[in-house]
Amino acid sequence: MKNHKIIRGRGQYLALMASVCALLLLAAGFSVSIGAVETKPIDILKIIINKISGGEWFVRTWEENMETIIWNIRFPRVIMSCIVGAGLSVCGVLMQALTKNALADPYVLGISSGASAGAVAAIVLGWFGFMGGYSTIAGAVLGAAVSIILSLNIASYRRRITSSRLVLAGIATAALFTAVTNLIIYGGNSGSDKTKTAQYWMVGSLSGADWDKVKYVSIVFALIILLIMLFVNELDVLLLGDDAAESLGVNTGRIKLVIILAATALTGVVVSVSGVIGFIGLVVPHIVRTFVGSKHKRLLPAVILTGGLFTMLADVVSRIIIAPEELPIGIISAFIGAPFFLYLIKKNRAK
Amino acid sequence: MQLSVKDLDYIIEGTKVLDAVSLCVEEGGFVGLIGPNGCGKSTLLKNIYKTYKPERNAVFISGKDVMEMPPKEMAGEVSVVAQENNVEFDVEVLDMVMYGRYAHRRFLEGEKKEDIELCRQFLREVGMEGYEHRMYLSLSGGEKQRVLLARALTQQSRLIVLDEPTNHLDVRYQYLIMQTLKKQKITVFSSIHDLNIASMYCDKIILMDRGRIVAVGRPEEIITEKYMQEVFGVRSQIKVNEITGKIQIYYLSDNCKDC
Repeated sequence: MKNHKIIRGRGQYLALMASVCALLLLAAGFSVSIGAVETKPIDILKIIINKISGGEWFVRTWEENMETIIWNIRFPRVIMSCIVGAGLSVCGVLMQALTKNALADPYVLGISSGASAGAVAAIVLGWFGFMGGYSTIAGAVLGAAVSIILSLNIASYRRRITSSRLVLAGIATAALFTAVTNLIIYGGNSGSDKTKTAQYWMVGSLSGADWDKVKYVSIVFALIILLIMLFVNELDVLLLGDDAAESLGVNTGRIKLVIILAATALTGVVVSVSGVIGFIGLVVPHIVRTFVGSKHKRLLPAVILTGGLFTMLADVVSRIIIAPEELPIGIISAFIGAPFFLYLIKKNRAK
Repeated sequence: MQLSVKDLDYIIEGTKVLDAVSLCVEEGGFVGLIGPNGCGKSTLLKNIYKTYKPERNAVFISGKDVMEMPPKEMAGEVSVVAQENNVEFDVEVLDMVMYGRYAHRRFLEGEKKEDIELCRQFLREVGMEGYEHRMYLSLSGGEKQRVLLARALTQQSRLIVLDEPTNHLDVRYQYLIMQTLKKQKITVFSSIHDLNIASMYCDKIILMDRGRIVAVGRPEEIITEKYMQEVFGVRSQIKVNEITGKIQIYYLSDNCKDC
């Protein structure tokens, strides 16, 4: 790594972004085409063009249920995987800027578990019923808010956050909220599928994706990205530490509040549609930083695309590895993320 | 521009670390802060640049209470070279120096050509030309310190506050850093470990002991055998150097019979 240089030229950066985009499209195409029902790539393309344009450009030569499978099941899932991955990666970047620690991400800090507990409370106990279809999101965001406050308070000591305190605070917070989730599911008489429900919320899965969820997750995601892109300069300086940032003129109280609000909302919304998918916010930013550096104006767009790609590929793996059954994506991400986490801890100690 | 501190107390966990500290740094001055370890130098400086929150009506810059100043305005007046400067996420040297321009940028404004020129100019002044695209964490201690000085100068404030900027540096860089500071048209307030360096560069020295200010004056009035004995507890001999005309301090060991 010593001689590895980060990309500085604008052309090189754009070329990298373009290639990640191309890979993203390829992965999306591949992801839509795999599954129990065999499909021809050309048919998929035709269906998507017809659907997006709203017209009948191509005469239907395929069965109607295939059209439903492609458009209403597989396609929203692909988009969802992309947004969930991008969202979790952005949350990772935000938590890392907040704690100045590469080990921070919503899963490690226990925020995902908090959001998951909130979502389950909303579904099983009927919290936020007045919000109708949005009650799950409301519960998840509330859970994320409670857990982020708890976790950061335990992690910081005299305004500093050390790696060991951060990891311990995350373990404790996650344990607490996982217990809450289990208590609600097993105590809430929610029917016969308790184990399955519990597993869904704790391991993370994209199997529930549909267009409705895609719609609101993407709206929230877009709004939050717009918000934090306004603060890229502040995020850069904040990485130097709160004291240094303050003396350089950054209103650290304000930027930290923006980070906490954005990360809470984004984690809450993402978890409300996918459960707890771990480590993405840890792995993706770390890899992307080695290529584009830590300046947020470049880091954030790169992390969004790469996070989307990474998660889309993890989803593909989760669907083919034991086909025709599928694994929850959280298992795949943990198999990649946990060793990576160990590596980071080891590296951190060497420093 | 003038920095003044009036009757500042500061308590950390029940101990009075600063006890009714009052001082004044005049525009254009080069003022050194000396005193034994643990006498409160760093605490005083941290109160001035607000890493610690001072009481209201205690620290003033150009007559304004620092606690009333928003961070950007404060950064326009005071730049800081602090002691602890660890970063977790590495950046290139040029970017590190560029952060000094943050306070001068409007909301969302990017890097201007003049800003980059300014960064390069100050990197040249601290002898770090050609290091623009090196990673900050790959630098040696002396190089890092010089980059941070360049960053503080790039901030183009009227006052610079430094906390033992030459600590842990070898002789050459100690002098290089002080020399660079002396050349700037900027008011300097710095705690200084090495008393010979303090006497050489400062036009006023503030001596602290146990949270209080003991004496203020020109180097030859403060760096005296009497104060060395009373405050630092060391015997010394002080002479005027023939070449520099500045005073020079020699420490005498206790088991030296002839002195």
